[in-house]
Amino acid sequence: MRKSRIGLATAGLLAVAGLALAGCATADEPAATDSGSTDSSDSATTGGETYEVYALLPQGNDQPYGTTYLPPMEAKAAELGINLTITNSEYDGDKQASECEVAVAAQPDGIILWPALADTIRPCLEAANAAGIPVWITNADVNPEDAPLTYGYSGTDSYGQGAASAEMMCELVDGAEVGIIQINGLTGNSVATLRGNGFKETIAANCPNVTILAEQPGNWNKDESQIAASEMLTAVGVENVQGMYAADDSMIAGGIDALKARDLDPADFFITSIGNTFLGNPLVISGELDGTVFQSSSWDGENAVVGIYRAMTGDTSLGRDDDGSVLYMPNPKVTIDNATDPAVAPEW
Amino acid sequence: MSQTMQIGERETSLLGRLRLTIARRTEGRGIVLLVAVLAVVAFTEPLVFTSYQVSLGRIALIGLVALGLTAVILMGELDLSVASTLAVSGVVVALIPDIRLGILAALVVGILIGVVNAFFVAIVGINSFIATLGMLFALRGLAFVLSDEAPVKITDVDAGIAFGQPLIGPITPRVLIFILAFIAIQVFVSRVKAGREFFAVGGNRQAAYDAGIPVKRRIFTGFMISGFVAALAGVINTLERTAADPTAGSTVLLASFAAAIIGGNYLKGGRGSIVGTLIGATALGVLQVALTLSGVQVPVQQIFIGAILLLAVTTDPANLRAVLGSVRSLRLGRSKAQTPGSGS
Repeated sequence: MRKSRIGLATAGLLAVAGLALAGCATADEPAATDSGSTDSSDSATTGGETYEVYALLPQGNDQPYGTTYLPPMEAKAAELGINLTITNSEYDGDKQASECEVAVAAQPDGIILWPALADTIRPCLEAANAAGIPVWITNADVNPEDAPLTYGYSGTDSYGQGAASAEMMCELVDGAEVGIIQINGLTGNSVATLRGNGFKETIAANCPNVTILAEQPGNWNKDESQIAASEMLTAVGVENVQGMYAADDSMIAGGIDALKARDLDPADFFITSIGNTFLGNPLVISGELDGTVFQSSSWDGENAVVGIYRAMTGDTSLGRDDDGSVLYMPNPKVTIDNATDPAVAPEW
Repeated sequence: MSQTMQIGERETSLLGRLRLTIARRTEGRGIVLLVAVLAVVAFTEPLVFTSYQVSLGRIALIGLVALGLTAVILMGELDLSVASTLAVSGVVVALIPDIRLGILAALVVGILIGVVNAFFVAIVGINSFIATLGMLFALRGLAFVLSDEAPVKITDVDAGIAFGQPLIGPITPRVLIFILAFIAIQVFVSRVKAGREFFAVGGNRQAAYDAGIPVKRRIFTGFMISGFVAALAGVINTLERTAADPTAGSTVLLASFAAAIIGGNYLKGGRGSIVGTLIGATALGVLQVALTLSGVQVPVQQIFIGAILLLAVTTDPANLRAVLGSVRSLRLGRSKAQTPGSGS
């Protein structure tokens, strides 16, 4: 019995050691693997200086957007001679703050930060600045009061995307009195908040004839959004609903399924969204989704690296005063008229 | 101090007493795992050992909630509401402009949540898993309602940033509070009669009743400790981050349970220690920092933590005895079947 225990303990020790070593080996594998970790030093093509950069992201290969955001990011990093260490906080603000502490302690040449929660990243920015590490914000911008602590931002104008979706809705209803339901992203998430505000405020300003009857979070998830939409339809009465908005295409697909489940034809409703994804684009072509807003994950990932490179090489400095310190992704509206245009071909 | 409610013959020799002491400890597996983790990390990511502030901060982040949870686990109960308690208390502290009053209110909320949990478990008689699962959802909803479904910034952001700065060397207020909480709970469960009775309540509840131990009162005490410590963690998180997040704590619950289990705490109660939880939190914290430094992605990190948890659980002496017993009976069954004439 005692021998068995000792044997098991030894086996356990060896297993842990083996796993840890295997994991570290995984961490060193190039971007093509699913580990998500990147060490692109071998493929650096600039031939010049090599930079160490931490990319503190709230998602990775666990989300469709992250899956298509990472490869262009890693490719651009390899091209510019940047060694990327990528983390994924899974939208946990405390976890990202802790990862930021780790990153600052590692003293990299730069940090790319995609805030999980914009309100909680001030201490991270302060710590990075105190350590003299430039921080470039990607995908979701920080609060205006925190912007001077960063070297720049590249990504979407999340508020503008919500506003663009609202503009399409206003055009569609053409002055008619309609009631709609709204499916939001993850509660508390900065992109979700900005898109939601952009949509609501633009509706209120441009077409007050559109009434938002109910709103629920769909948590960026199709299935949860179907349930949320179904519940809202029941709560406000199907007969009162003539339209639907969701903060992304996955969620609007769930909302459209909720209509179909009640034998309702989505083509009879005014429906807009954001993303123009592999899920949303076919819905636009089929006429079920009236309009969406194009978002390029590859542009996003690539420009995050371009931005931090500019910061590390002195092209931009602390604050947002330099040219090119804010790079907004082009977000064209996509309707049935241009849905097959190669310029807005879906990426994720 | 690790304790088990064992009755056995008294060993008088030094060797015998030593064997008895080792046999009573439950942290053995945790120590082995910690040594293994430290050895591998020292070899692959030595930066972990020079970045004291980061490593200690991560251990405190995981460990604080786990310490309170251990008080409940020792009695054979579970508290799944700790993550939501953390979120609610964080929102409460951010909503009240006076930071001192906010902290006080948040801690009182934590204790009240513990009282409600204990009421359902000890008075109503609901299984603690179900009762605290209900509280997990209810409190999460409460955090969203109170915060209006958005992060709440604290009034004095500069005070929050100052709170996150080290006091002496790598010791930040979070680490200091974690150390003080560890000492307080350790002293309580090992030196105070009421705390020592947690082991009796978890080991054999009927025997504890028969021995005149106020079991219900102990359950109330345990859940109040758990709620208070979770609220404390929520207060610290909110101050350090300068804002309260109603979705906070999503990864805390599983990490806290993992720390307690790796530290040798028996989920059915009666066996375990606060020291073990500290060891478990240290092993997990160091491993997580090392994996983050290495750029290992979350799914791979989860494989590591899962592997360590499985190791911790499968090397539990009770589980080992059960496995060996099964193997033995299987062998006996086979040998009987192979004996000529034993069949009908």
